[in-house]
Amino acid sequence: MSGPVASVNGPLIHRRYVFGLLLRLCVNFAGGVGILFVILYFALSRPLPGDYAEVFHALRNLSPFLRPILAVSVLVYALLACGSTSALCVYILHKVAGPLYRMELVLDQYRSGAPTRSVSFRNGDQIQALAQAFNLWIGTLRRDRQRWLATMKDAERLCLQDEATCRAEMEGALRKVAEDMARYH
Amino acid sequence: MKIRALQTRRTGIRYVIPRFQGLAVLAFAAIIATGGAIFWKLVDSEFQRVFLHAAIRGHYAFDSAYDIVRDLLAWHLAGLFVGVFLTGSVLVLLLVAVTRHGIGKAVDSLRASADGDLSTPTGAGSIGEIGRFGENIDAARSETLASVLKIRSEAAALAAGGISPEEFRLRWDELKQGIRRIAP
Repeated sequence: MSGPVASVNGPLIHRRYVFGLLLRLCVNFAGGVGILFVILYFALSRPLPGDYAEVFHALRNLSPFLRPILAVSVLVYALLACGSTSALCVYILHKVAGPLYRMELVLDQYRSGAPTRSVSFRNGDQIQALAQAFNLWIGTLRRDRQRWLATMKDAERLCLQDEATCRAEMEGALRKVAEDMARYH
Repeated sequence: MKIRALQTRRTGIRYVIPRFQGLAVLAFAAIIATGGAIFWKLVDSEFQRVFLHAAIRGHYAFDSAYDIVRDLLAWHLAGLFVGVFLTGSVLVLLLVAVTRHGIGKAVDSLRASADGDLSTPTGAGSIGEIGRFGENIDAARSETLASVLKIRSEAAALAAGGISPEEFRLRWDELKQGIRRIAP
């Protein structure tokens, strides 16, 4: 159950989280089945009439009588189990969906050209490696950007000398920047 | 005070990605509904058979209908629980595997981006939200690559010479502005 390339700083989704989800689902489904049992128990545990003939007729007619009760109890089970499982899914999957949503916002912000801050997820959130990888990329870009600007500023400092030296230094700086940028492909 | 109240309200929002959480909810609901329908169908037909058999057999040594179907009901309820739970578990593991694969690819591509590879597609797959997220990352990387390549070609053009000092200075400043816009 590891990802395509295992994360350096830990798994993307922790086993404990998966086991916790499975355990909660187990309790949830068990609760649903328990409720179904209680409903059916109360429907079926009515005492049968004492007379032999009455018991015979009661048993003969019990099946059609129980059919709607069974249908309603299964419907109640389905509704309750679906409701609680939905709430559980939304709550538990938020540990993955939340960081994804946050990263999408950050990516939109980055693409719009707005200043992007480093991303950090909350404690307990999964896919922490995603934030680390994004911060690593943005950090590298920023370091490169600072280096390119520093190279250009260094060339500008020499403009206090004659024009020809200034131009030669600037062109040299541009060549250096262009070579440095060549690592991006 | 107002800010704190707003933050408290914001942390309460849990349903943020309908295409991820909503699909999982629908899948679980389908499993529960299918399990319930199978249970209803099986138990209904069994009840018809068992009660009729009990009525014909005579010797009514039971107090209620529950005494007749106790074992049958217990087995079917156990079957319902095991069936729904196992299918739900398979769905959970599938969901986790798809997420790990897709997000793992996205993490790999971001790490490759830090090493300068901005063109290799993420390949996070085309399933729902994870695929869309991978496309979003690819778009951000390709936009970055486009701006870097543009700056690089401009720098190379300026370094080649043959430009008047006024125009050179103007384009030099524009180039610096362009570099400042990378990862602001």
